[in-house]
Amino acid sequence: MHDVTLTINGERRTVALDARTTLLDALRDHLGLTGTKKGCDHGQCGACTILVDGRRINACLTLAVMHDGDTVTTVEGLGTPDDLHPMQAAFVAHDGFQCGYCTPGQIMSAVGMVGEVAKGWPSHASASLNGKPELTEAEIAERMSGNLCRCSAYPNIVAAISAAAKDTEASS
Amino acid sequence: MYETSYKRPASLAEAAAIIAADDEAKFLAGGQTLLPTMKQRLAAPSQLVDIARLAELKGISVSSEAVTIGAAMTHYSIASSPEVQGAIPTLAKLASGIGDPQVRHRGTLGGSLANNDPSADYPAAVLALGATLVTDRREIAADDYFQGMFTTALEEGEILVRVVFPIPRKAGYSKFLNPASRYAMAGVFVATLADGAVRVAVTGAGQGGVFRATAMEEALGDNWSADAVAGIKVDPSDMLSDIHGDAAYRANLVSVMAKRAVVAAAG
Amino acid sequence: MPDSIVDDKVYATARQPIRHDSAIKHVTGGAVYIDDMREPVGTLHLAPGWCRTYAKARLDALDLTEVRAVPGVVAVLTKDDVPGINDVSSSFGDDPMLADGEVLFWGQVVFCVVATTREAARKAARLARFEVVPGTPLVTVADALAADSHIMPEYRFGRGDVAKSLKDTQRRLSGQIAVGGQEHFYLEGQVAMAVPGEDGDMTVYSSTQHPTEVQHTVAKVLGVTEASVTVETRRMGGGFGGKESQANQWAALAALAARVTGRPCKMRLDRDDDMIMTGKRHDQVASFDVAYDGEGRILAVDLDFASRCGYSADLSLGVNDRTMFHADNAYFYPNVSIRSQRLKTNTCSNTAFRGFGGPHGVIAAERIIDSIAISIGLDPLEVRKRNFYGPGRDVTPYGQKVEDNILAELVGELEASSNYWKRRTAVRSFNAKSRILKKGLALTPVKFGISFTLIHLNQAGALVHVYTDGSVHLNHGGTEMGQGLFLKVAQVVAEEFGLPIDQVKITATNTAKVPNTAPTAASSGSDLNGMAAQAACREIKARLVDFVSMEYGTPADKIDFRDSQVIIGNGAVPFREIVKKAFIARIQLSAAGYYRTPKIHWNRDKAEGRPFLYFAYGAACAEVTVDTMTGEMKVDRVDILHDCGKSLNPAIDIGQIEGGFVQGMGWLTTEELVFDGQGRLRTHAPSTYKIPTASDVPEEFVTKLFDSPGNREETIFRSKAVGEPPLMLPACVFSAVLDAVASLKPGVIPPLDAPATPEAIMKAVHATRRGGV
Repeated sequence: MHDVTLTINGERRTVALDARTTLLDALRDHLGLTGTKKGCDHGQCGACTILVDGRRINACLTLAVMHDGDTVTTVEGLGTPDDLHPMQAAFVAHDGFQCGYCTPGQIMSAVGMVGEVAKGWPSHASASLNGKPELTEAEIAERMSGNLCRCSAYPNIVAAISAAAKDTEASS
Repeated sequence: MYETSYKRPASLAEAAAIIAADDEAKFLAGGQTLLPTMKQRLAAPSQLVDIARLAELKGISVSSEAVTIGAAMTHYSIASSPEVQGAIPTLAKLASGIGDPQVRHRGTLGGSLANNDPSADYPAAVLALGATLVTDRREIAADDYFQGMFTTALEEGEILVRVVFPIPRKAGYSKFLNPASRYAMAGVFVATLADGAVRVAVTGAGQGGVFRATAMEEALGDNWSADAVAGIKVDPSDMLSDIHGDAAYRANLVSVMAKRAVVAAAG
Repeated sequence: MPDSIVDDKVYATARQPIRHDSAIKHVTGGAVYIDDMREPVGTLHLAPGWCRTYAKARLDALDLTEVRAVPGVVAVLTKDDVPGINDVSSSFGDDPMLADGEVLFWGQVVFCVVATTREAARKAARLARFEVVPGTPLVTVADALAADSHIMPEYRFGRGDVAKSLKDTQRRLSGQIAVGGQEHFYLEGQVAMAVPGEDGDMTVYSSTQHPTEVQHTVAKVLGVTEASVTVETRRMGGGFGGKESQANQWAALAALAARVTGRPCKMRLDRDDDMIMTGKRHDQVASFDVAYDGEGRILAVDLDFASRCGYSADLSLGVNDRTMFHADNAYFYPNVSIRSQRLKTNTCSNTAFRGFGGPHGVIAAERIIDSIAISIGLDPLEVRKRNFYGPGRDVTPYGQKVEDNILAELVGELEASSNYWKRRTAVRSFNAKSRILKKGLALTPVKFGISFTLIHLNQAGALVHVYTDGSVHLNHGGTEMGQGLFLKVAQVVAEEFGLPIDQVKITATNTAKVPNTAPTAASSGSDLNGMAAQAACREIKARLVDFVSMEYGTPADKIDFRDSQVIIGNGAVPFREIVKKAFIARIQLSAAGYYRTPKIHWNRDKAEGRPFLYFAYGAACAEVTVDTMTGEMKVDRVDILHDCGKSLNPAIDIGQIEGGFVQGMGWLTTEELVFDGQGRLRTHAPSTYKIPTASDVPEEFVTKLFDSPGNREETIFRSKAVGEPPLMLPACVFSAVLDAVASLKPGVIPPLDAPATPEAIMKAVHATRRGGV
């Protein structure tokens, strides 16, 4: 067993874990944070997307021990029902979900993505590698390629992200 | 997953020592290939030696001749590096098209090259650019490094430290991706190196992993144009055939991707 | 008094685009799915054990010694542990929960490990030793046809002398199209948790579209009465038909484990196991022989479907019947013969999937139309319109008269709004100039019959309680899987009582509250449960009206419910005050509502009747670009016009239409299931099976609701069902791809099968260039 210390949603927590425990299982089974969903458990559906040190990753495809000392943000740490994060509010306003199972992953991925854009990181779809990419709908779709929604609520998901990204830009 | 333990060595030397003392230990960087393999119980390392944070494997630097990238740099850090974007934009673009964003934040250059998946993207860049792979023991030329699918020149316990990519005069990469896995079903990297040599490397399609398409190199050497490669077909009998596409389909894709890569290199 | 089609009532809650009831919970991670429920202390975990080598084998012996020896293993279940009947089928009795002497497909569960952790259970599940005698599996439709292997008798219906019409005609063509299956890939996999109670009772939390059937199955397997079993379903992370019958096995295994160990037990399938073990959309080969006239009008059709059902019957009877019911799509076949063969293969048991067989019929019909158009050089849309049902041409092959046809108007509107003819000209001139890239355009209709064709399923119950503070508790037999059913039914209840939506408490589907329910399937959730809930509300309202009428001396027709008030003549009293008074006056404030669909009847043996209450209609137009060097395809633009009657919730319905379209497009273009020669599924993960992502949504995607006066049948507030019909709208994408490939050589029908993957498109391109062979 390894003692793993993580700063999760602003709170420092230490938990004793087997080396094999994925970060996803650590969150869900050991830390009681079930907002992050297990979809495929093979890093292919994006339902378990979280932010580690600000970067979006699949929690199922990384071991908790690899993140000893890291800062983790899950959907529970983003906002609360009474004080939603702008991305959460945009998903509500645009009906960016149907069954809801992929939603926490979509939202975390979208928050990470908007952060990447703010830093000027290009995606594969960007016409130019230089300068700040323009967040068109096609651009958002490409940048969200790691998140599956089987209900295919994509038009609303993309609309929500687009609106939230514009708000973020306007307020920054 | 089978039982294992975890080590996070503080230095390259310490990492090498752990591996040297234990045949069953394995290096772990981003884990995007090793962890799925372990989950499927296809790998059972006794120890995971996490080298993702080693300072020796980090960093990107540019000289007038080459871009040097640490083995533990993630696809995202390579794609978003102004240095790489400036010196070898095609390499940055290639990195930005690997897997999906979540994978790009974890997966590393070194992890990909040590694994040498036949449909990975980096091998095409390394081979076409004639890069040099620097390990904790020696330097290996790209032409000597790839030795068939999932096989490289790396010896037991040898750690890939950094890769030196010569800056080409021009380069282009185009891949036809498997829509489900986003791996290349055919990826072609074309380059004219600083000395004028033309090199073409193909990934995703060949039975033996990444390979150089010499007929295309000759054709482009004579006439650098999309039309020059469009008519050149690789031998379908050397191509992979699987549920995603048969050999003839892949052979056709190689010609089309080569053409697109040349067009991309011009732009 | 029945609602008239056009009414002047002002709707406060129904017909409004209200957001999903779980919206805030979904975005904050607060929505609880079964795997998120806090596990009771001592919960055990299950993992299925199966023979990883063969799809067909005689099972002579099973050695579980090593399995039992794994630390943490508490029990290992085999068929011998089943106290009741070892069957999880819906009706045919041919789905052993745990294999009995033979393995019939690759992935059949032979035993089940129960352990203190999932990891231990999964590890142990791989350690069994099987003694088997392998057989030769039947894998494909062709294998099964060659072996004459049927899961149930074939079924036919039709009319007229088809053979004679085909023989006498000047114009005749025949063809064949293979249409693939589809993996559900609900993001939340199959999962159930069983908690044992006293006296042998069992409570099961199951991710199922059919809690009643899970209840029946658990009772059957455990050998207890149905009254001893309670099944609860709060929500599913997607169902799409994959949790209609296929949830039974996992819930029953969890319940058996709970019975054997006396502890709570959870069964959550690993994704690969889920994809390998559970049934999918059927794949079918349709063969047709058609006679038509010089105008492209169909004179006679002989259609034959060969369907891969898998190793057991499951829902294949209804699924394949529905293929036949939709083999006309929107077109009148004067003489017609439709045959469906239901083939038994050594593959997973194919099951319900959004559209329930209907989509295969629709694709066959559209291929017939496209083939005629290509053969005589007419625009396919023109041929489609000429074959629509119309006056004097309005009886389906199964004898139901099409009384509510709005397609002429709907298609006309879409034709104009999508600018079809102008774009047709543009596509033609693009193709004339472009050597490698070819564009295609198609506008296809959908007519989809609404009702379960198994007539007895068309019933529903609801339970409504009004509490003395004026809040309302709602329960009904329908399940929530993201389609917004709970919200829609709550809208009905809020509308009836004139209350804001948040006064209506939505509660989990529970067999102890509303019994003997139908599955949430066949698009019927809102139609059935909405009406049942309305009936319950109206019963309570009638009692309140009587009471208020007496109390206030106001005639009943001057009493109404709106704005949280009871309107009494010219005055108004808050609803909660009336409720409190009614309670004091000993008026019952709770009612169980019930509804059964009127008018429908179906005699399957004679193939006559009216299986559907009404039809839902829609149409879509797609433009695509195909790269004839690689087979790559891009959907450039899609326009949809869909009929929801008077939509109960336009926001929800547009989501259903867009989502159904993209999911159907995935089925027809990218989602390819591959079984190898040994019957092993090679595509059992999203890394090999391509589900649409955001970038697969057409760049230009316009969805509109048809401006309907309302359903002509008396459905809930004159709405129409919306779950399945949109899945068939992307037939236009498939036809547009065909159109693009067909442009390579006029008059040649490209042999394009579904899914139209790049490789399949390339094959069709090569064949078309060669002349269609």
